[in-house]
Amino acid sequence: MNEIITIAKKEIMDNWRNKWLIAVSAIFMILTLVISYFGSMGSAGWKDLDTTIGGMIALVQILVPIIGLMLGYATIAGEKEKGSLALLLSYPVSRVEILIGKFLGLGAVLAIANIAGFGVAGIVIGINVKGVQWGDYFTFIFASILLGLVFISISMLFSCIFKKRSTALGGAIFLWFLFTMIWGTILSGILIAKYGLSAMMNENWMAPTWYYIASIMNPISAFSVLVSINVTPISTHLTRYPSFYTTPVTLFILLSWITISLVLAYYIFTKKDL
Amino acid sequence: MIEVKRLRKEYDGIVAVDEISFKVEKGEIFALLGPNGAGKTTTIKAILGLINYEGEISIDGMNVRERGKEIKKKIGYLPESVAFYDNLTALQTLQFFAELKGIKDADLMKLLKEVGLEKDANRKVGGFSKGMLQRLGLAQCLLGEPELLILDEPTTGLDAVGAYEVRKKIKELNEGGVTILLSSHILSEVQELSHRVAIMNKGKIIAIDTVENLSKKLEIQPKLRVELQRPSNRIVNLVKEIKSVKDVKVDGNILEISCPPSAKLAIINAIEEAGVKIIDFKTVEPTLEEIFIKMVKEDE
Repeated sequence: MNEIITIAKKEIMDNWRNKWLIAVSAIFMILTLVISYFGSMGSAGWKDLDTTIGGMIALVQILVPIIGLMLGYATIAGEKEKGSLALLLSYPVSRVEILIGKFLGLGAVLAIANIAGFGVAGIVIGINVKGVQWGDYFTFIFASILLGLVFISISMLFSCIFKKRSTALGGAIFLWFLFTMIWGTILSGILIAKYGLSAMMNENWMAPTWYYIASIMNPISAFSVLVSINVTPISTHLTRYPSFYTTPVTLFILLSWITISLVLAYYIFTKKDL
Repeated sequence: MIEVKRLRKEYDGIVAVDEISFKVEKGEIFALLGPNGAGKTTTIKAILGLINYEGEISIDGMNVRERGKEIKKKIGYLPESVAFYDNLTALQTLQFFAELKGIKDADLMKLLKEVGLEKDANRKVGGFSKGMLQRLGLAQCLLGEPELLILDEPTTGLDAVGAYEVRKKIKELNEGGVTILLSSHILSEVQELSHRVAIMNKGKIIAIDTVENLSKKLEIQPKLRVELQRPSNRIVNLVKEIKSVKDVKVDGNILEISCPPSAKLAIINAIEEAGVKIIDFKTVEPTLEEIFIKMVKEDE
């Protein structure tokens, strides 16, 4: 256990020293404030937190996966390529402890950045707006952290698969495109090919169940659904979600991505020669 | 202390280590010697559990695969090309590794002083020269006073003074009871330090013994170097005629005579009786280089 804490602590301190933590927190805070003040209806002025969350979802869907991938892609491949991993493993620390320690450390970095960035912005908005729904805002921050953890674990898996830091980075970039663009585009393409654009334009048209299942398997979609069904003003406008789009299902999908990625990462890491 | 049984490792179908077996006794300095690609580093990595392998390795009777974590508490390791975290200072680096080993009261500044890095304690490792990294590597592997040191090319990157100091430190540690397994391509270093040597070539151990015993087995004769005031062909031929003299080479005023120790007196007497003045003479023991070259040639 002590070894896990030591490794996690080092990851946190590394990201503190290289200013990543501060930079990411600042990005979250500035973007939240900008979206809250200028983000909607074309008029400047503070919006309440729920409206701000509506504007923030799309941004978090793009930004948090990038941050998660950037934090995790070099964890194993980078250290292996440099040679420090062999030295680390010559100490009384197992491979699973290294993986868990790094995951917890990077996860803490992302969580601290989320809480600090969104938290400070939330306080500023809360001072300027009445009737703030803090519960909704905490749900949004929690879901953002969970999304970040998914991408840290996936990038750590890629870091175990690839031998070089550069290929692991390439893999991380591909993953980002896959989840933010390719996944949705392929599903939409299949729908159009099968049903035609005109049928889909009908407001009573409902996509088949397989589409919704395949869609929510994408962690970014699971995050979006998790926030949408739990934040009041967004959830009241939702009409096209199937009944199985629930909080437990989205949480299960996000947690499954984390667990499966880490288990696979461990399996590959144990087979690796240093 | 270390027992390696039928160790075998392949990389993409190429055999790096081919069923080697050896033991390193407690308190000895044991060297792995061999040309590049002989399998020395692979052997060391297997002992540390850094690679998957076939065969069995145990340290103090504990299987490396099963009780690796426990075993590593007793080991200090200096890799061939040591790499640390660039953003940590030398002191922070030692603090991190000490914490991993569960050492709470280590005098890290003393350790840095021992390797001549006390003035650089608060400098980031990213700006260190190769020699400084090697010194810090030595400091980290001494954390927690390990019972076994595994040193892969310990003097690589060090200048002559640094290499001398490291060799001195290795001897001191061994005198204090630390068992040492080292690999080196510097033959004189191995000869100076090690009690026993395993000569590796193409993944196999082709000889394993003390330097002295290896030279006996290979019948590499000690050399008698005799400095004469005025050497001549007559004297050279005279010496060559002495029974058991294998070879005589002339280098300026010096005769280098390959012969068993028992022939020395007869040679000296013969030269003196021939009326040639001897300025100096000494016996030169066979070098590891001679043994190594002969072994590898015979193996090939």
